[in-house]
Amino acid sequence: MKVIYKSMYFKKNFNKSFNILLLRILIIFVFILVSFFIIIPLLPLFLKSFSDNKNNFIGFENFINYIQNPSLTQSFINSLKVAITTTFFSVLIGFIYAYALTRTRLPLKKFFNTFSLFSLYIPPLAVAIGLIYIFGKQGLITQGFFGTIPGFDINLYGFNGIIIGEIFYCFPQALIILVSALNLSDQRLYEAAESLKASPLRKFLTITLPNIKYGLMNSFFICFILSFTDFGVPKVVGGNFNVLATDIYKQVVGQQNFAMGATISIYLLVPSILAFLIDKNFQKNEASLISGKSIPFKPRKNLIVDSIMFIFCSLILILVFGVFSSIVLASLIKIWPYDISLSLQNFRFSNVAGNGYEPYFNTVFMSIYTAIFGTIFVFFTAYLVEKFKPLKKIRMLIYFFSTLPIAIPGLVLGLSYILFFNKPSFSVPFLDFQIFNPFSLLYGTMGILVLANIIHFFTVCFISATTTLKQIDKEFEEVSESLKVPFYKTFLRITIPLSLPTILEIGSYYFVNSMITVSAIIFLYPAKIPVSSVSIVNMDDAGDTASAAAMSTLIVLTSLFVRLIYEFTSRNVSKKSSVWINPLET
Amino acid sequence: MIKKEGSFKYLEIKNISKNFGETFVLKNIHLDVFKGEFLCLLGPSGCGKTTLLRIISGLERQTNGDIVQDGLLISNSPTEKRDFGIVFQSYALFPNLNAKQNIAYGLENKKINKKEIEKRTNNLLRLVGLEKYSDQFPSQLSGGQQQRVALARAMALSPGLLLLDEPLSALDAQVRSKLRNEIKLIQKKLNLTTIMVTHDQTEALSMADRVVVMERGHIAQIGTPFELYKNPITPFVADFIGKMNLLKGKYDKKNCVFYYLNNRFLISQNTEYSFLENCLLGIRPEDIEIIKFRKNIEKEENILRVKIKEITYLGTIFRLTVVLESKLEENIFVDVISNQVISNNLKIGDFIDIKLKKEKIKLFESNL
Repeated sequence: MKVIYKSMYFKKNFNKSFNILLLRILIIFVFILVSFFIIIPLLPLFLKSFSDNKNNFIGFENFINYIQNPSLTQSFINSLKVAITTTFFSVLIGFIYAYALTRTRLPLKKFFNTFSLFSLYIPPLAVAIGLIYIFGKQGLITQGFFGTIPGFDINLYGFNGIIIGEIFYCFPQALIILVSALNLSDQRLYEAAESLKASPLRKFLTITLPNIKYGLMNSFFICFILSFTDFGVPKVVGGNFNVLATDIYKQVVGQQNFAMGATISIYLLVPSILAFLIDKNFQKNEASLISGKSIPFKPRKNLIVDSIMFIFCSLILILVFGVFSSIVLASLIKIWPYDISLSLQNFRFSNVAGNGYEPYFNTVFMSIYTAIFGTIFVFFTAYLVEKFKPLKKIRMLIYFFSTLPIAIPGLVLGLSYILFFNKPSFSVPFLDFQIFNPFSLLYGTMGILVLANIIHFFTVCFISATTTLKQIDKEFEEVSESLKVPFYKTFLRITIPLSLPTILEIGSYYFVNSMITVSAIIFLYPAKIPVSSVSIVNMDDAGDTASAAAMSTLIVLTSLFVRLIYEFTSRNVSKKSSVWINPLET
Repeated sequence: MIKKEGSFKYLEIKNISKNFGETFVLKNIHLDVFKGEFLCLLGPSGCGKTTLLRIISGLERQTNGDIVQDGLLISNSPTEKRDFGIVFQSYALFPNLNAKQNIAYGLENKKINKKEIEKRTNNLLRLVGLEKYSDQFPSQLSGGQQQRVALARAMALSPGLLLLDEPLSALDAQVRSKLRNEIKLIQKKLNLTTIMVTHDQTEALSMADRVVVMERGHIAQIGTPFELYKNPITPFVADFIGKMNLLKGKYDKKNCVFYYLNNRFLISQNTEYSFLENCLLGIRPEDIEIIKFRKNIEKEENILRVKIKEITYLGTIFRLTVVLESKLEENIFVDVISNQVISNNLKIGDFIDIKLKKEKIKLFESNL
């Protein structure tokens, strides 16, 4: 009887366990945040696409108008063309480059590895500007280096220019995924195949390709979405070749036609989400074929393959550096191509659409805030989803929502944020009742820009945080529980120190991407807070390309500087942590 | 209840079941653990032993049943409210904390002053013999040392119950047998009730006061190592604890005779077997005698003429694999002292006579 009495006491006590209660509250809190930042803002966008500009419900009229407008449907086809071509070439180039880095004895591999991702630091807008100075009407190559050699015109403005620019932008993304996929290899499989007299082609088709198929699919998906939805490159070198992204911009900024902007957004969003779902469905089957005991592949010397790869990788880097140097040059030259003396006058930003250095500093601060708050938010979200047992369904929903932003084009995110955040109150359907929208306080502040950036780049950061957390023994939480140490102490004392390299990586990713992004914030930036990527667009629109190039140069240099700080810090961190990771090195 | 060594039930597991949908992982487990006892849960992988351990710790929740620890019903208490320390197979040492900090991890969370923590941590380091290594990080320690840190950390809060989940399986053979003795010594010294999960029967037999043999989610037998060896109640236990030859045949209850192919075996009349005529005869390899060189074989009982198929050297003994001419595919194992093999010059292919000691023969219900 004594036992039964105590049982009732303990049953009550269990439900009151403070830690579990706290955990539940935190999970629900994060769920609410992710819902309000990712999913719910899309609703007003959908509503808008079914209404006219006076907010009357008009059904599918916008969609029908769109299809019946031949110039607009042409944009849709153009976008698809751009996306498919870009995806094909980006994945192809990314794959060859990744293969050279991982599976050959490429000379100067370290150099090629370090600079392979250089173009990630150049905003797509700036790439386009760089291309103008090389291939444009007055470009170096078009004019044959100021007439010294015969010129060559590639017809930059239009499809060609967009494709080249997009490949610059997309191929590093494919490269990152494919390098990590190709790095997971097992030497023994190749040795086994060799002992069975398999030809190199057979080895490639039966071992290499099946091993990277998930990575390959994922890079197709990423490149498709990026190039389908990018705004920067077509804006600058698109000429008369219209794509969906530039159409939305024209409808919203040019004609203030939010309803049509929303409708086109849906046309942009649907293929992206479709690609996302296909990829997600495909990745579901992923099971690691490579076990922890695998012996990594050690490439053998092969003079022919190695030299071909060397030439290929050099060509790619020459193009990347060529574009970058032409941006820098353009920013330093007085009046291209008439007065090619060097000066810093383009860096004054005084007589142009810019506002001096204000946009630049705004962007830097915006990127710092994004890096700090984004990293905290993303890591904490991944931690709650990955490490705990309660509220399984809600955690799965948070996971799903967190992977979604990669399929939401920046322009669509920006537009949905305007529609959602500028509403001072929500009206409850069927009831004559208004609820105050607390998020509307963010509207017109730096906060909304930071938030848009955090969400825009959320997925990549979330996945990398999740991957790191998965590698940390889940028994740490169980041991802590058995030692009566609450989870948050273990989080601070064990999980964070162990994840520090990834946390720094996420911070640097957020910073760099916030520096270069334009699509998510071009609709959102308040007039009193100009940002540099938008001023590049405006300067370029105003024909002041040199100043646009100067601003681009500043952005790239700042990103590189931050990346250097990152490399330095993470080296220090790994020096410290090497004691517990790699005892032999100390 | 009187606290009398060996009779005080410290932990009572009452009718514990665990299932995931239709599949049962544990089915109606009843088990009492006495104060100060070292209990082993032994069984092949998938028998539910680790699940039972995790249910005791609260890391997993049972579908049915109750657990009483030290007179308190803890069936629904969260892990952090239960009184136990645990060592995992992977040790789960915090890689960024050194040995001392790992051990002090649980203490620091309690409201104890620093001096006291320092004192207790040092005591624990001394207990596991790692005073010299207190500043080393886990990656700088050998497997055995890591194991000791994990053990010290589990004992830091002076728990009433110690749970060990395959604590030695990641170590190599020599370190393992050394640590076996150390763990056992510490456990006895502190009179700490301990439950260890293992799939290694030697480990279980050499360490445990009592062993719980588990098979497919239920308890096959509970007993001291010697009892289990001597009197296994199922063929599974018989073959899992040590080695047992199992011959399928017919049992004639009236005459106490077992028929195996054309052979008759007399069964000791001391035990009454109540089951049907189809059953298994069990005999351990060491309970079979070679009688090749005795003269009056005809007078002896329970003799089989067999052919030597394989001779395996196992140290002080040889294990012979022998077969009947009429049933070549059924191996019978016979353990013989090395000298006997050498002096008799036994070779593969030789025919010998073996004798199954009547009083050592066991019969089991055949579930085939």
